[in-house]
Amino acid sequence: MVIEVSSLTKTYGKKNSAFKALDDVSFTVPDGASVAIVGKSGSGKSTLMHAMSGLDRPEAGQVIIDGVDILKLKNKAVDRFRSEKIGFIFQAFFVQANETSFDNVALPLEISNVSAKERKQRVDEALKTVGLDDKTKQKARNLSGGQKQRLAIARAIVNKPSIIFADEPTGNLDSATGEIIEDLLFGLNKTGGSTLIIVTHDADLASKCDIQVYIKDGKIDRIDNNVTTQPFASPTEEGAEL
Amino acid sequence: MKTVDIARRAVRGLRNAKARTILTSLAIAVGAFTITVSLAAGEGARQYADKLIGSNVNPSALFIVKDKSIFEGGGRQAGLQVYDQNIGTTSTGLTLKQMTQADVDILKARDDIENVVPTYAPTVRYMQFGDNDKKFTGQLAAYDPTILSEAAFGSLPVMGKDIDDTQAVVPESFATVLVDQKVIKSPQELVGKTITMTAVSSKSLASGEQLAQAYATGGQAAVEALTVPETKEFTFMVSALTKKSATALASTSAIQIPASEARAISEYTTLGTDGYQKYVGATALVKDGNDPAAVKDKLLQKEFYAQTAEDLQGVVFAVVNTLQGIVLGFGIVALIASVFGIINTQYISVLERTREIGLMKALGMRGKSVSRLFQFEAAWIGFLGGIIGTIIAVAAGLALNPWLTEKLGIGEGNYILIFQPIPIIIMIVALMLIAMLAGWFPARKAAKLDPIEALRTE
Repeated sequence: MVIEVSSLTKTYGKKNSAFKALDDVSFTVPDGASVAIVGKSGSGKSTLMHAMSGLDRPEAGQVIIDGVDILKLKNKAVDRFRSEKIGFIFQAFFVQANETSFDNVALPLEISNVSAKERKQRVDEALKTVGLDDKTKQKARNLSGGQKQRLAIARAIVNKPSIIFADEPTGNLDSATGEIIEDLLFGLNKTGGSTLIIVTHDADLASKCDIQVYIKDGKIDRIDNNVTTQPFASPTEEGAEL
Repeated sequence: MKTVDIARRAVRGLRNAKARTILTSLAIAVGAFTITVSLAAGEGARQYADKLIGSNVNPSALFIVKDKSIFEGGGRQAGLQVYDQNIGTTSTGLTLKQMTQADVDILKARDDIENVVPTYAPTVRYMQFGDNDKKFTGQLAAYDPTILSEAAFGSLPVMGKDIDDTQAVVPESFATVLVDQKVIKSPQELVGKTITMTAVSSKSLASGEQLAQAYATGGQAAVEALTVPETKEFTFMVSALTKKSATALASTSAIQIPASEARAISEYTTLGTDGYQKYVGATALVKDGNDPAAVKDKLLQKEFYAQTAEDLQGVVFAVVNTLQGIVLGFGIVALIASVFGIINTQYISVLERTREIGLMKALGMRGKSVSRLFQFEAAWIGFLGGIIGTIIAVAAGLALNPWLTEKLGIGEGNYILIFQPIPIIIMIVALMLIAMLAGWFPARKAAKLDPIEALRTE
């Protein structure tokens, strides 16, 4: 699914104290690519992600996904777009500690009205993909950090989204665990065909993506495209305990 | 998001905060308990009153008076009033417009009622049982065939039929006194015995002039002869002893004699006084084919105030309903307090779960669904509170019922707390709706939460 971002502008605050979080940002993401949005804290990279996923509404510009400008959609349609086409992964995981792995992963399917029977099948499948099929009935609070992030990944992919947004997915993990998560994400990107957009300030992680979009003070600093040069590891089947 | 999934998530949300959920629902349980008990007590009292009236009062019976204040919570207090020979003062100091013999005759002449019997107030100086010399006093009343009594010993006529002219019906408790006083050996012995009642005439009270004249003509002996009151003996045969029954309204504290004799006694004792042939009211039966309420209306046009059996029931029910309303009011106050409890709890819940809400909204959950999630949680709290309150109320009620029956003396098999499933179900549903209403404010806050703000990690 091709994503076209053009002339995106988002301003916080009023007149004198106005602050441009995004200033005329334009770029294109080819279908199935992995993209790193790289920038320092406060550079506007999170705002860009929010705008691209329909969570935020910039005052100017377009985000055209699959030929539709999502910024022009009504709230209900944007919610539906997110529930069907988008998966989210967050730095702080945001899994529900009190709920079982199964219920955590089932949430997006419940939101998009998938029948209970199909839900079971797809949740099991997603948990298997991330190697948590033995933790289905476990409460999320009993999982380790890496397992929680894998659970979050399962929740992000269970709806078979076209685009997965990952906001600092390895930020709260040690490097060994982080690497496993990275492998999982890139593997899903290559085999699942979904576009992967990672927001990070980690240069190592960014370098593993096909495209790096560097953001500085709300503007695009530069865009690197290393599709041809960067080899990827195949998805890990080890599913190592983290 | 499907309603069933929202409801399921709501239950899980509550389970994750068990202590808070139970404490909040206990507040509702207090209200639910009070309301359930008041509903049960109201129902029990109504059923008991219904039974009491239904089994005791002939549905075609009328009680007719000339003074409607009797039906409006008693007569007027006796202040200074314009004299009216038909207004009498009762022993309790109430002034009533009394019914005269002429009124009774008007009633007797009507073709829509029969069995018109004025309420005679027969009084005798003393009474003696059998051949025994011991004198007793006790209340007398005319036998009312429209009211059912139960015989402990001997036999009573069927409802609607009067006793014979020479018969008397004695309460069982009177017989017990006679046993204590060694007049008879056992209560049933009284049946078949005679009662001799000695009534004193009012006109025997000689005036000063008469006394002076008697003294002049016959000396001391003549005065004594004159001041010995004129008395008359009325003799009856005890035909039955009435049982003290929980469901019988009959005046169990009076010896009942035939209406004709009651009249004879009261006229003998009141002859020459203001009270002669004056009655508080009269009882009558509506003739077959006439509607008691219609007859009552017709009587009203002739300035007679009547009360039907149904009215009597209405009076009892009005009392029951008022008492029930008061208890119900307490329950509702408790509920209002618990509504604020729910609002508070759910606000805290929304604050605590800001991230969860943010996540759900980021994943595309509609604000409406988020709102419903919190409203359903509130509804579950209401449901839980309702169930807890009802269970405690029913358990306590069923356990206490035998004790209450004994304490109130309403007769075995009659219970004052009667729990009915339908009002309880309606109450629980209402509680859920009230709880949902209370949950509306916090739910709206949750629905309006901005996911970006909610998910900010810093």
